[in-house]
Order: sequence, then C-alpha cells, then structure tokens
Amino acid sequence: MSDNEVRILTTPQGAMNLRNEMSRRGFLMLSAGASAAAVLAACGSSKSATATTTKAAGAVGNPAAKSFKLYTWAEYDEPALMQSFGSITIDIFNSNEEAVSKLAGAKGTSGYDMVVPTGGYIPQMAKADLLEALDLTRLSNFKNLDPAYRNQPWDPNNKYSVCKNFGTTGWIYDTQVVKTPVKTWNDFITACQTVAKGNCSVLDTAPNLCGIYFWANGINWTTEKKEDLDACEKFIVNDFAKNLKAFDSYPGINLTKGDYAISQIWNGDARQGLKKLVEAGKDPKRYVWGLGAPKTEIFMDNWCILKGAKNLDASYNFIDFILDPANSAKDLAFHGYNTGLTGIEKLVGADVTYQDMIWVTPEQQKQLESGVVNSAQDRLVDIYNKAKAAAGK
Amino acid sequence: MTAISTSLDLGPPARRRLRAPKFLLAIPGWIWFLAFFAAPLGLVVYNSFGTKIPGTAGDVSMDHLTLDRYRESLNSTFFSVFKTTMQISYIGTLLCFAIGFPVAYWLATRASARFKGVLLGLVIIPFWTNFLIRTLSWTIVLSPEGYLSHQLQSWGILGGPIHILATKTAVQIGVVYNYLPLMIFPLFVALDRLDPTLREASKDLGADPVRTFLRVTVPLAMPGIVAGLLLVYIPLAGDYLTAKILGKAKGNMAGAFIASQVIDAQNVPSGAAMAVILILLILGSILAVGGIGLAISKLLGLARRVDVVEASVR
Repeated sequence: MSDNEVRILTTPQGAMNLRNEMSRRGFLMLSAGASAAAVLAACGSSKSATATTTKAAGAVGNPAAKSFKLYTWAEYDEPALMQSFGSITIDIFNSNEEAVSKLAGAKGTSGYDMVVPTGGYIPQMAKADLLEALDLTRLSNFKNLDPAYRNQPWDPNNKYSVCKNFGTTGWIYDTQVVKTPVKTWNDFITACQTVAKGNCSVLDTAPNLCGIYFWANGINWTTEKKEDLDACEKFIVNDFAKNLKAFDSYPGINLTKGDYAISQIWNGDARQGLKKLVEAGKDPKRYVWGLGAPKTEIFMDNWCILKGAKNLDASYNFIDFILDPANSAKDLAFHGYNTGLTGIEKLVGADVTYQDMIWVTPEQQKQLESGVVNSAQDRLVDIYNKAKAAAGK
Repeated sequence: MTAISTSLDLGPPARRRLRAPKFLLAIPGWIWFLAFFAAPLGLVVYNSFGTKIPGTAGDVSMDHLTLDRYRESLNSTFFSVFKTTMQISYIGTLLCFAIGFPVAYWLATRASARFKGVLLGLVIIPFWTNFLIRTLSWTIVLSPEGYLSHQLQSWGILGGPIHILATKTAVQIGVVYNYLPLMIFPLFVALDRLDPTLREASKDLGADPVRTFLRVTVPLAMPGIVAGLLLVYIPLAGDYLTAKILGKAKGNMAGAFIASQVIDAQNVPSGAAMAVILILLILGSILAVGGIGLAISKLLGLARRVDVVEASVR
C-alpha cells in the first residue's frame, strides 16, 4: 500500500484526532481528493500534493474544517463573526414547519449540515430520523452554557441539540398611526381592526398567529381542546384575517421601509429594525416595541446537526466556536437574543443598544410560555391556511 | 459522399444501408419528458390518494387508497383562493395581450429592419436577471417610503405615500411585468412571418386599414395569439411567488395554498389532490375559452360568408 501513503503536516492534536478517528476508506478518499486539489491548484508534483494535504483536508475530527451549510432563520448570525469562522453557506426559512417539511422531504439529501429549530419541534425531527445524535465531549465549550438552558424537556441530556439562544414574541408599532399605547394582545387586535386596519402584519407561522387569540383571551396557547381551537378559528378566520396586510416573519428587517403600522414580531428582529432606523438617520422613537401581554411566547432555538451532514467536523467546530463567550457576546450584540451562556450579560458592553429588548426581567418571565408541538398542530396549520385564504379575498 | 458512391456503382450491389428508425431523434425528448414531467406528475396523482400519518413530519400512508383528500379539498376555502387566482390570471393575461400586441405589431411591421434585433434584445434583457430579483425590485419601486412615492409626492401628484404594495394591483403589475415577454415573442414571430404583400393585396382590393387588420392580419396571426395567451396564462395561473412577494396577504394564489399544504401542514396527499384539481380546472378553463373562441369565429365566418358560386352564375 506504499502507493497510497500520504504524509500529513498537522498539529499534534490534529494528528491524534486523525489517527484515532479516520477510517481507512475516508483516508483514501481524502488523499485522492487532496492530491487532486493540489494538482489542480498548483499543477505541482506529487510531493507538493502531500505537503498541501492538511490544508485541503476535511478529515474526521479535523479542527481545520471550517466550511458547512446552515439552514436557519433570517438575520440570526453576525456576518463578520461568521466570516471569521470560515465559509458558511446560509439558507433561511420562515417557520419551523417549513424547515421540518423541507428537511423531511429531502430525506437526508438536503445538503445542509446544520439546522436551527425551535425546541418543541426537536422530538418530531428526531423521530423522523433527521437529526444526528451529538457527541458532547467534542464540544469543549458546552460547559459555558448556563445549566438552566441545558437538558430541556423536549431534548433530555441535549442528545440532539445545543441552545443557540432564546427569544420572545411581542409587537412593534408606529406611534404616528397607532396613537393609543398597545399594552396587551387585546390592544394589538383592536389596533389591527381600527387605526391600523389593512396595515398590520403577523408572524408567518401557525402557532404564532393562533397565539394572538389564545394569549388575548387567557387560554394557554398549547391548548388541545376542541372548543378553544374552534373559537380561535372563528375569530382569526372570520374577524381578524381581513385586516392583515401580510404574513411576515421578519417585519423588523424592513422597518425602515415603513411597510406596516403594527406588526407581531420577535424581540431580536424588532431590535434590529430599530437599529436600522438609527443607521438610516430616521427617528427610532416613532416605533415602540412591547413584549406580549398578559401572556406570550418564549422560544428556544437550537443548534442541531443533520443526519447525513457532509461537514460533521466543521459543524462541531462551529458549535464550539459559537459557545465561546467572546464570540457569543458578539453574536448576541448583533441578533439581540439572549444566548444563555453563564454571565453573558456582563460580557455585553454598554455600547450595545436597546439592551432592555434583549434581557428578560424576572417580572416579564411570568408572562412567558413555551410552545409545544402536540395534537393541535394540524388544526393550527389549518386555521392559518384558512386565515391566509380569508386575508387574500 | 453517399451520393457519389451510389452513382459510381462500384462492385457488387451495396448492402442496403441500415437506417436508424426515425423516432430515434425523439428519444432524448421523450426520456426527458417521462423522467421530469410524466413521472413526477404520476407521483403527484398517486400521492393524492394517500393519507398523512398524524404526528409525523409528513409521512404518507398508502395502505388504503382513498378519495377523501379530494373531498376535503373541494371546500370553500380552496375555491375562494382559486377564484382569486383565476381573476388575477385572466386579467393578467388580457393585460399582457393588450400591451403585448401593439408592441409586437410595431416591432414586426413598423420598426426599421436595422434596429429590429436590438429592439427584440431589449425585450429579453430583463430575463438576464433572476426572476426573484426582478420581482423583489418592484417592492422597492412601489414601497410607500420609496423613490417613486417620494418623487410623486414632491411633484404634488400624490397627496400621501403610495399604497400599492400588498394589494391586488401590485400583483397585477408584477405578473404583467414578469410575463409580458412571453406574450410579445410568439406574437412577434407570427406577425413578422406575415408577407407584407398580403396586406398590400388587401388594400388593393379596397379594404381600409382596419378591415385589413381584422380580416387579414389577425386571422393569420392567430396561431401566435393562441400560443402567447397559453404561454402567459398557464404559468401565471400556477405562479405564486410574484403574488406572494408583491401582494403579501392579498396575493394568496392557489399555488401558494398548495405549497402551504405541503410545507406548513406537512400534508403531501392533500396538496397533491389540490394540485390535481388545479390542473384540471386550468385545463377546463382553457377548453372553455377555446370553445367559446371557436364558436365565435364560426359564427363570424357564417356572417361574413360571401357566396361566390351564386355570384358567378349570375
């Protein structure tokens, strides 16, 4: 087998990883690929091919693997930070339902290495065999995550997921149009039906749309009762949908365009919108953010590696990279969602604006309810589809 | 080469040349058609008889083939969406025709031959940019805080910001913009092919320009007109991105509704059944319009009939 012998230049840690984890087959493929890459790059001799091997390598456990494909929410990662990690291809989705369907439909051939679903959807995804079981020993920075955000009910022992960040749902409105302060979901509904009629948007996900009714009426939004769901459908489809201008999961990004007078919105997106207003030299005070009340959503989105991921190493490397407190703080300053690392509040500098929109106070904590995917899910989506039809009439 | 060798008639009579069957040329096309059109369509039809397994991420049970998905799909929600779709498609197609025909006519008959190529190129140039980008650009143009809105206000044409985005008007503008070239091209080809001497002959025989246009140009261009109408109408009725981007909540077309069945509801059988219904309804609407068109042209033909035989006897 001397023909296949390849000399590899690497760090001691990298060499150990290589020796331990690289299968023979992977090794042969790697050497072939590396030689080809080297030949193409430099038209060099076989000697130069061996010398460049480590750089071209995507070996198992390779700390140099920095390239992968991520399927996530929009404006959810700091671009410069992503670039400093390596080459990340990002595609976005509007709702968990969309992400799960597309991944399930592709049956492991989606080409993505990682996805960022909300916690409640993880059991379903694991059951559909979409997720790779994580080897937490490969994540040296996992210890940085606050224990409160580990071991969640929907993923015991972090078998498939690591907390990316959590966020909340509320609203943002243009005070030049909506002049009475919006304090509750009922106020939100009233605004949509009166002053902001035909000029309001809701999030493009079924649970969030139906949540507006449940939260406004003191019903737990994870209800499975038929009468609750019937009442929700009656209100949303018959009374509420006709006022809507759009189903938009990211109204904040376009806040500067002035598309809506009032929007249902996630806290981080609202904050990014206000920041963009400042950058554009417009008056950010014109828009007011509010956390949903009396009850609203808290969601935790998570890093998950997909079954069939081609860039497993890069994926692990990235999760470890983003769990580093300094990186996490940079990312947080951009997207505006609490990343849940121990002591992250102290790492975020005073120069980071709108911090009141990032951190949840103990008082606000009482307003928050986590979502689950339960037997009501299909019904919620049905209501959402009917609402879309009613809004488009 | 072949011609030379046979005419020289060298040696014993040449064996009859093996000729490949003529259908060989059609094989690549058929393979493509079967693999990428017929087979997927068959899968859609097959899936429409299935049932979604509840609680899964869209798994389909085909144990009991059923028509229930069709029954469920034929509800008022789907039909209200379908009605919107038809409205946008019909108006869009007619607008494309109304705008496209004069342009094609001018290009074919009036534009100078020197610039014809350039002018046709100008029609295609937008196609060099991605469909999504072209459509998204309209959201900037039509935005209430956009350049157009500000400019119109500063000229005093508008009292306030334009509110076209997220209305059916925006959808209509978008689809006409996106599908117009598909109308202009077949019309241009049909009109360009017409021999100008036919129009001159019509004039010589005493027809005024309107009569020449209606009795000579339009009937001869009919294949192009039908092709243009179909090329615009069919994709437009299935398009939903233009409507979604520009119409937002007001642009919920049947295609979007079906996509949502598959993507959000994770219910492939239900989406498949709706897709089959949509295909049948579009087909039906084409046949209906085609039938009406044929009937009208028959009636017109009867009305305009010139009884040549009788005239010659006298």
